Amino acid sequence: MTELDLKEKQKDDKKSDKTDPKTPGEDVVIEFQGVTKQYSANIEAVHDISFCVSVGEFISLVGPSGAGKSTLVKLLTCEERPTDGKILVAGRDITELKKKELPYFRRKVGVIFQDFKLLPKKTVYENIAFALEVCDTPDDEVKEKVPKIIDLVGLTRRAFSFTEELSGGEKQRVSIARALVHNPKLLIADEPTGNLDPVSTWEIIELLFKINKQGTIVLLATHDREVVDSLQKRVITMKEGVVISDHLKGKYNL
Amino acid sequence: MQLVTTLRRITKTALVSLWRNRWLSLAATLVMVLTLFTVSFFVCLMIMVNSTTSMLRSKVDISVYFNDSVSNDQIFKIENTLLARSDVKSVTYVSKEKALEIWKSQNSDNTQLRDIISTDYNPLPRSLEIKTEQTEDLDAVNTFLSSKDYKPLIKEISYRKNKDLVDRLIKITNFIKYVGWTLSILFVVISVLIIYNTIRLTIYARCEEIDIMKLVGAGDWYVQGPFILEGVAYGVAAAIFSSLILYLTAHYSLPAAGNYLGIVNIDAIVAGISFWTIILSQLIVGVVLGTVCSVWAVKKHLK
Repeated sequence: MTELDLKEKQKDDKKSDKTDPKTPGEDVVIEFQGVTKQYSANIEAVHDISFCVSVGEFISLVGPSGAGKSTLVKLLTCEERPTDGKILVAGRDITELKKKELPYFRRKVGVIFQDFKLLPKKTVYENIAFALEVCDTPDDEVKEKVPKIIDLVGLTRRAFSFTEELSGGEKQRVSIARALVHNPKLLIADEPTGNLDPVSTWEIIELLFKINKQGTIVLLATHDREVVDSLQKRVITMKEGVVISDHLKGKYNL
Repeated sequence: MQLVTTLRRITKTALVSLWRNRWLSLAATLVMVLTLFTVSFFVCLMIMVNSTTSMLRSKVDISVYFNDSVSNDQIFKIENTLLARSDVKSVTYVSKEKALEIWKSQNSDNTQLRDIISTDYNPLPRSLEIKTEQTEDLDAVNTFLSSKDYKPLIKEISYRKNKDLVDRLIKITNFIKYVGWTLSILFVVISVLIIYNTIRLTIYARCEEIDIMKLVGAGDWYVQGPFILEGVAYGVAAAIFSSLILYLTAHYSLPAAGNYLGIVNIDAIVAGISFWTIILSQLIVGVVLGTVCSVWAVKKHLK
């Protein structure tokens, strides 16, 4: 999907009056079709999941630990392949992406990992620059964007520290900065506020909000009740591997 | 242009991580130094043993010393008979005058000994120096000359004196050659396994890194490139170190070894070895080993 297509779709988005989030419409960008993931004979992480995501949406994916949120995130980043079902992104079934196409897909998606997944022997700056460099971004653009995003997440002071030397909260910010630096079309955040104090939590949520306003789809997996309730956005609730509710202006109710 | 940028970034990443993982890099390099050094040491030893053997072989000959009563014609007749034999390579006649010259040059530093013999008083016998195609043929020639027909003419056959020594030397060099080759091949196999495992371990220690790079959307080249370059770097560094050690070893031990073994002409033995050829082959072997092992090891993680 190109930049232009996205803008086109956003226009459509404003016109159309979406009521039921489950109906696939014109502006559907992500579609889960009966997705099941079985890790072994006894362990079924998610079962028959179906939902659609439209352009510009901000979705909270909630549920207790073990509900299948992380599995859903991993399926969406192609870290895991579903046992059954399809996942369409911009009309393409990503479960059938070839090994060679995988990097290109991942460059369009920003992921804030629960366990940060930062390169251990690299500095904050290098970690973030790496995400740009693999997309073949020119040097001057890297030099311009990286300090900006580091400043945005408030880590300028730590820019040249190795990630091993950072606190949990700081690592989280690096992970966020890396996920955002290449302006992804889809931002997946797996428990991004799990390690943060309340003030930082709100800063991060503000940030996600801002990104979403610029047109990026945000998928936020969390179990922070306060955050979800105040967002006033679509909430998908999961429990034991299945979607139990899906509301446009949802609350965290379990 | 994009390729240049990618290559530059990969190189930079490789250099930075070589330095940041310097102990791991050092370990991998040292293992490779050990391999390259052992193998090239044995190869050099082989070349030296070979040239020593051929030198010994060319030195082994039979000298037949004739009684003074024998006429020159008789000696020439024997010379012709010998030349007619298929196993004889060359026959050189040494006259009394020639023998005197040789005597004088051999004892040039001992004037007293040198002057005992002069043109006026020359007890040195005339002789024929016989060389054969194969060392083994000397036996046949020896038997031929020892026959009853020639016995009255001949004062002495030198072959009997040094035969045992030559036999033993040839046996020893042959033994060294077989053992050397076997050990070389064995070392190469063991070393390749060790290098492969070392590089695999250095990469295994960083497999988390590889996974993360892939998750961020790095293509295979971005992940693989730095590791392969690091493998190349191990190879280059190891080749340089190993050549240096080999050079120093040769420089300090060869003259001493030559003295000890009584080989005067040590330079002739070493002449077959070119130092630059050794450096170059070590570089090639090192780089190929490093690259192949890295590619193998990373491939496992990229799947």
